[in-house]
Amino acid sequence: MRIAILAVLVLVGATPLRAQTPRPGSWQDAVRRLRDAHVGHAIRSVRVAASPAAIIAESEPNDSIRTADSIALGDQAVGVLNPARDVDVWFVDLTEGQLFSVDVDAQVLGSPLDAQLVLFAPDGRTVLAFNDDFDGFDSRISFRVPASGRYFVLISSFGQNGGSPQARYALNFGTVTCTAVGTEHEPNDSPGTATRVTIGDSGTGEICPVVERPAGDVDYWAITAQAGTTLDLAIDAASFGFVGDPILALYAPDGTTRLAFNNDFIGSDSRLQFSITTTGTYYATVANVLGFGDPFRYTLLVRTIVPGPGDPITVRAENLGIPLGLAVGSTGDVFVSDVSGNRILRVSIAGAVTTFAAGIPSPVSVAFDASGQLLVTSLAGGVYRVTPQGQATRFITDGIFPFWIAVAPDGRIWITDLGNRSLRRYSATGQFETSFDAIGIGQSGPGPLAIGPSGEPYVSNGTEIWRLRNGRFERLLTDGSLIWAFAFDVAGNIYAPSPVAGTLKLFDSTGAVLADPFAVGPDAPQAVAFGRDGTGATLVRVFAIDPQVGRLFEVNPAAVRQRGLPGYVTPPFSLDVAAAGLLGAGGLSAADVQYLDALGNHNGRYDVGDFRAYLRVLQGSNR
Amino acid sequence: MTRARWMFAMVAALFVSVSCSDQPTNPGSGPGTLAVRLTTPHGDDGAMTFQVNGPSIESASVNGLLQLFTLRVNDSTLVGAVIGTLANGAIITLHVPDGSVAAAYTATLREVADREDALRASLAGYALTVTR
Repeated sequence: MRIAILAVLVLVGATPLRAQTPRPGSWQDAVRRLRDAHVGHAIRSVRVAASPAAIIAESEPNDSIRTADSIALGDQAVGVLNPARDVDVWFVDLTEGQLFSVDVDAQVLGSPLDAQLVLFAPDGRTVLAFNDDFDGFDSRISFRVPASGRYFVLISSFGQNGGSPQARYALNFGTVTCTAVGTEHEPNDSPGTATRVTIGDSGTGEICPVVERPAGDVDYWAITAQAGTTLDLAIDAASFGFVGDPILALYAPDGTTRLAFNNDFIGSDSRLQFSITTTGTYYATVANVLGFGDPFRYTLLVRTIVPGPGDPITVRAENLGIPLGLAVGSTGDVFVSDVSGNRILRVSIAGAVTTFAAGIPSPVSVAFDASGQLLVTSLAGGVYRVTPQGQATRFITDGIFPFWIAVAPDGRIWITDLGNRSLRRYSATGQFETSFDAIGIGQSGPGPLAIGPSGEPYVSNGTEIWRLRNGRFERLLTDGSLIWAFAFDVAGNIYAPSPVAGTLKLFDSTGAVLADPFAVGPDAPQAVAFGRDGTGATLVRVFAIDPQVGRLFEVNPAAVRQRGLPGYVTPPFSLDVAAAGLLGAGGLSAADVQYLDALGNHNGRYDVGDFRAYLRVLQGSNR
Repeated sequence: MTRARWMFAMVAALFVSVSCSDQPTNPGSGPGTLAVRLTTPHGDDGAMTFQVNGPSIESASVNGLLQLFTLRVNDSTLVGAVIGTLANGAIITLHVPDGSVAAAYTATLREVADREDALRASLAGYALTVTR
């Protein structure tokens, strides 16, 4: 049930209420952040009058909308939350368009109260905003008034049990005013008015909502960068002591093309890296992920870093929505899932983007099965199978919350099920075979998975990669940042995307680091896959997708060490060829024979049992 | 499978793979059909490969529940694979120019796999016979 609720939240987007937010650090939370990052941003800082016009004491009982105490903008309300579970309600008349601010002073006054605030609409029921902690334990709500009327503010203690005779508070009612802070020069809300900052230096400013900019505040910073360098931009807001959630983006010299984006690199602070291929003036923007909300100060650190061997990257396709899953088909085309567009996109070798399949609700992970059909996990539950003609049908329905999917060389399908944190195995035709409890691997596992050279599944639990061998999970490597959908080359080297770090990393088959970063060009890569040629053979080319900017990248192929594992794509030979090979007419390569044996009985040669398995896979029938 | 076990399996297969034929039940010559019958000690056979030798073989067929794949080596030798639920009895129908000479045809079993795709390590107890 809990998972179902989380899934719904992912689909509809998170609400501001903390209790409805997926567990921080979970895969669901990560997906939610990706979705939310594209839903509007920007704001500006709120200040209230230093000296209130009047101080109004509460008049108990004032614990309901009906008995609320009156207050006016500019006034300060004072009261005590006593006894335990006491709440106080205040009403204030507001005018459309105002940037209303209500700010708690309690902890700052030495009160033991850990306050939380709720703003109600004039109907007294609709929750418009909620805040627990902004300035330490003290709360603040900043809110653009949508329509003139009487609004209600409820103050309570966190957990409802903190009331006591000492739980004093002051509530400052006012409107937002923004003042010049730091080195930014307001208005700096466009490329044309950007404040310049040089590499190696930093800029400071404040994200503060103002009436004149209903879309919210966004600060532009102009940075001149040289080709061949990699920009490293970092936001530090947390050290100012306010709870802000800044987002950071980088725009091309045209001021409109977004090149990179990050939200929450460390805590709520953001950071991104981007490889510069053309010397010019680029624009960094800082805004508030929540849209209108409380103001916060920040420092923007501007540096360059040494690129990885996989840099520079090359953009192969863009406007892909929010791509989370990536697979390469047997003709060399790249397929990506667009979680926001409920579709699968096909990117041709030439870079042409077309819709391959539509109507799959919130598709996440994709993989080709042994018959060449695309398997797609859906946040709505279940696994879809898409024919080469793009017809999607529900295929696997018995999991609780299937999230990531991979297909082994033997055609078997592996799925991570977040519902019970297990790794489930299905036959090539979708029949459930067995499952492995993966709670023991810890963190958020099991997460993204891939099939290794030996045909065993490897799975990320967050910052570690584990492999399932003989029914037991073994830890292969531990890294310092989140690892998403990784891929193997034929030597067992692991190309791992780390979206939080904004890098690709390269590990060898023992888990030792070969290159960190391998590439820093992708902003927040989520999935990696090896390219294939027109016959389905894997290439020495690595692709990655970045949902933050909706793009498909290719890393510098000169740095890719081996071709990708052939894995799960059916060899390009017909059933007749397979039969002829079985009966002694030849026509199969050593790799084909190896594939067929892996598909069947694994006895080291190609025999009638393997042929039977191949026949079943191609015909999509059950045993 | 180790080399020793593999050799054992091959030797065993040579001993137990049966090449035999029955006498024709109807005299007279002309185009006709012959039945290749399987004798199996198992109840879960899912696939087999075979070889048929004889004066001349025009074609082969199976019933609709099975799938047959064949390769003509020459006019007198046919190899093939049958996939499906195999059981004791007639499996393959041979179409020959002279249906009266069943005794001139021999059928040899090469491989058998069970319905989980596993190859039989031994063909002991198996037989293929050609009858009219």
